Amino acid sequence: MPYQAICKILPPGLREVIHSLPKGVSATIEEIRVRQGRPLEVITPTHAWFVDKAGALSKNPECAWIPTRGDCVKLLNLISNHSLYALEEELKRGFVTIEGGHRIGLAGRVVVEQGGVKHLRDITGFNIRIARQVKGVGERWISTVLHGGRIENLLIVSPPQCGKTTLVRDLARLAGTGGQGYPAYKVGIVDERSEIAGCLHGVPQHDVGLRTDVLDGCPKAEGMMMMIRSMSPDILVVDELGRAEDTEAIHEAVYAGVSVFATVHGRSVEELMHRPTFSPLLGEGVFSRIMILSRAQGPGTVERVLDASGRLLHPNRREVVAG
Amino acid sequence: MMKLIGGLLVILATSWLGFTFAGRVRDRPKQLRQLRSYLAILKTEIEYGTRPLAEACANIASQEETAVSRLFQASADQLLKGDGSSTYECFRRAIEQEWQRTALQQSEQTVLLQLCQVLGSSDRQDQAHHLTMACNQLELEENRAREEQDRYEKMYKTMGVLTGVLLVILMI
Repeated sequence: MPYQAICKILPPGLREVIHSLPKGVSATIEEIRVRQGRPLEVITPTHAWFVDKAGALSKNPECAWIPTRGDCVKLLNLISNHSLYALEEELKRGFVTIEGGHRIGLAGRVVVEQGGVKHLRDITGFNIRIARQVKGVGERWISTVLHGGRIENLLIVSPPQCGKTTLVRDLARLAGTGGQGYPAYKVGIVDERSEIAGCLHGVPQHDVGLRTDVLDGCPKAEGMMMMIRSMSPDILVVDELGRAEDTEAIHEAVYAGVSVFATVHGRSVEELMHRPTFSPLLGEGVFSRIMILSRAQGPGTVERVLDASGRLLHPNRREVVAG
Repeated sequence: MMKLIGGLLVILATSWLGFTFAGRVRDRPKQLRQLRSYLAILKTEIEYGTRPLAEACANIASQEETAVSRLFQASADQLLKGDGSSTYECFRRAIEQEWQRTALQQSEQTVLLQLCQVLGSSDRQDQAHHLTMACNQLELEENRAREEQDRYEKMYKTMGVLTGVLLVILMI
């Protein structure tokens, strides 16, 4: 298992099981799912496997290793450093980011106060999502958004798990570091779900560029305004637009002369046009570059790149940007 | 001549014993006060700093080198081991390891262990509440220890010397 940070938070029993996974699997593993009293599961890009005590994979849940209550308590102790009170915000959001930018989703009994989620207790479900920064996936595309001193407003449209965060992170890294044919820009990442930069104690765990600032865990709309007011970025990077106030903030940013790289869940521009929050943005042609991703040839397949008027820039060329 | 040296040795030995007991009685209220002030720092670290337990304990230990602060260092070490032991188990091992070197007694150990059963396992407000409760209990112990000090410290010292003298008189 090449991921030190993950090993540190696994209790001894589970650590040994994960250690004895076949090499090919542990290199591509995407998720480790621990559920109290139910079989241990690992997920790779192509399969979902149950794992037995010796680390062997099978589709048969009967011989799988079953985490006990004790294992789950120990796992939670290690994740929280024996200090649940330090994770109040995280328990409200339902996930914890650990060293290395890996994220652990939590499920259990939700405690509600005044109609809002207060925290989680009796945590029995863990989804350990292994973060992999794929450096270089954006190199092929950086010239479509940064060229001749111009910065285009980019929207990446993709269904879940198609590599949009990976792509936008790499574009932020390239734009913040500079390269052939373009200078290093001031980049501001508003990372509501700690996915782009994977911050731990405010320090990005992924390489997001030399001139990049990150607002971690901040609501997008508010964060974009904060960034514009305080950090004077050339480019704002946000993940998963969706709410009405996000659209408003994008408007504000663009009219304030700041460029935006954003991502959104969706399959096509036509589909987005039906969403009331997006049709004004698209109708006004705010985004001058639109990239559409799919999994057709593995995660990160670029299906099409369009400009503001919907014209194809790279007609139907399929490029795999992430492995 | 030999008798004189022997007699002196006996008196020295019993006096030393008396002074050691007196020292214990004298150190206990002092250490209890230290323990209370460390727990107050821990409360601040948890309530306002939201620092994890291990880090908070190590911080406390690094400020002062005393028998009681060593308890916190040992706790931090145990918590950082990361072998999957429960929080309570980590604290219990640290207390077991360091308790002998302090002048503290069973009753305050019970208070501490009770506190350790809830440390780290609830939200900040609740943690602060438990810490305040433990501090109050320790204050009671401290008052009791101070009374004991007033009553017994001098007595142990004089008894040590006098027992020696008595033994020497009996032996001559």
